[in-house]
Amino acid sequence: MLALKSKGTNLLKSERKTLTSFLLLYSFLSIVILLFSAFIYYNLQKDDMLQYQNNRLTEYSHELISKIKYLHNNFDKSQKYPRFVYFNSAIYDSSQNVIFSTLKEKQVKLNETIYKTRDNIHYVRLLDSYYLGAMYIVIEIVDDEEWLGFVKVKVILYGVVLFFILLFAGYFLLSLLLKPMRESILLLDRFIKDTTHELNTPISSILTNIEMIEPFKLDEKIAKKIKRIDIASRTISNIYNDLTYIALGNQIQSKDEMIDMKALIKERVEFFNVIAKVKRLEFILDLDDRIILLIDKNKITRVIDNLMSNAIKYNKKDSFIKIMLKKRYLCIEDGGIGVKKEQIKQMFDRYSRFNESEGGFGLGLSIVSQIANEYNLKLKVESKINIGTKVIVRW
Amino acid sequence: MVRKIIIIFLLSIKLLMAEEMLERNVYENNCLSCHQFSTLKLDKIFFNYLIKYSSELTVKTALIDFLKNPNLQTSVMSEDELRRLGLKTKTNLDDEELKEAINIYWELYNVSDRLW
Repeated sequence: MLALKSKGTNLLKSERKTLTSFLLLYSFLSIVILLFSAFIYYNLQKDDMLQYQNNRLTEYSHELISKIKYLHNNFDKSQKYPRFVYFNSAIYDSSQNVIFSTLKEKQVKLNETIYKTRDNIHYVRLLDSYYLGAMYIVIEIVDDEEWLGFVKVKVILYGVVLFFILLFAGYFLLSLLLKPMRESILLLDRFIKDTTHELNTPISSILTNIEMIEPFKLDEKIAKKIKRIDIASRTISNIYNDLTYIALGNQIQSKDEMIDMKALIKERVEFFNVIAKVKRLEFILDLDDRIILLIDKNKITRVIDNLMSNAIKYNKKDSFIKIMLKKRYLCIEDGGIGVKKEQIKQMFDRYSRFNESEGGFGLGLSIVSQIANEYNLKLKVESKINIGTKVIVRW
Repeated sequence: MVRKIIIIFLLSIKLLMAEEMLERNVYENNCLSCHQFSTLKLDKIFFNYLIKYSSELTVKTALIDFLKNPNLQTSVMSEDELRRLGLKTKTNLDDEELKEAINIYWELYNVSDRLW
């Protein structure tokens, strides 16, 4: 398969599917063309073989005619039909009724000159004088199919070689077609890496300075403005973390440690609460104690942050976000706009977004999916339009 | 009762034999009666027809046509034989009798049944 791997850049699932479909269709068409060519080759070889046998069978027919002629003229002396070691024969009258036959195969095509049956070759000859009433004589010889053995070997040998040549040509063609797409993805990835690098210092600076401001010392108007800056900074921080993961995440070794999930979720709820308040969203928490996972803290934080961020982004105003933490799973549910059933599978593809009114790069759930794959976490999405979405992470 | 059954049985056999005799008679009385004393044998004529007309249907049709309307064009005999023996006179058998006679003739000389 054409997997475009370059510093963590993989083809999207839909693209892989397209490539697989293309290669399957291409291989199928190649096989059809090869089979058709093999069929033509087989028929040409068969015609050659029949042409070769034609001369031999003509000789046999002369032999038979002379015997029949003798029998016709001496019928009062002998009525024994002539038989031969090398071939069988039959004679038919002008109404195509059999007069006498020693053929093994009784079905005969009198309108053809020479043809192959399953096991034999039949040669049909029309007579000018109807000795014994015979208008047609038929000669039958056994086809040893030696020629067919050669044809089979050649067809298989050339077929396999041609198939691989066609497959290689297809691969080369596909590489050419995919070059622009590959370059676009590389360009986007390079842009993300550069942006990430440049964002680090200003974001850290904004967040540190906001935390240092004491809101009760400010007047109400300025405090409101500072709060808005705080929200915006946290949103940027979340995006920054996603971009960092995409740009560098695959190259950083995981540092697995025992994580208390309840404490982590509470911490992240507190972080996102400022953003959730803008939509007047209520967090409903149902978190069991002592749920410990051995996992990289940064990675599980990306999972929780992205699910929570989506639950805020695609929620309605005055709605809720319900977070359940149980022994075997984490469930984050919102009362938001939901997605269509057919879109659920594509939700985890990179850069896929179904709502243009909300910001984002479409990276969040792709990151969740990558981390889930790494740690064998099972993701399940249930969604209903205008009712909400529920994402369940099982371990 | 037994006597009656035996009488009916014997009468049936006699009737069947009579019919067969009648059929034979059409061929024997009208064809064989002359040809058996002629140099022109019926088997030779049969093979001449066979080599020219091939199948049962075409042979019988050709025979009927010739016997109803004998002429030099449709005759299967050689010029020498025709010169020596002359052309046959037109048959005075009706169509049914002619067909019966030709059927018997065909059955008698049909090569398909005699080859082995």
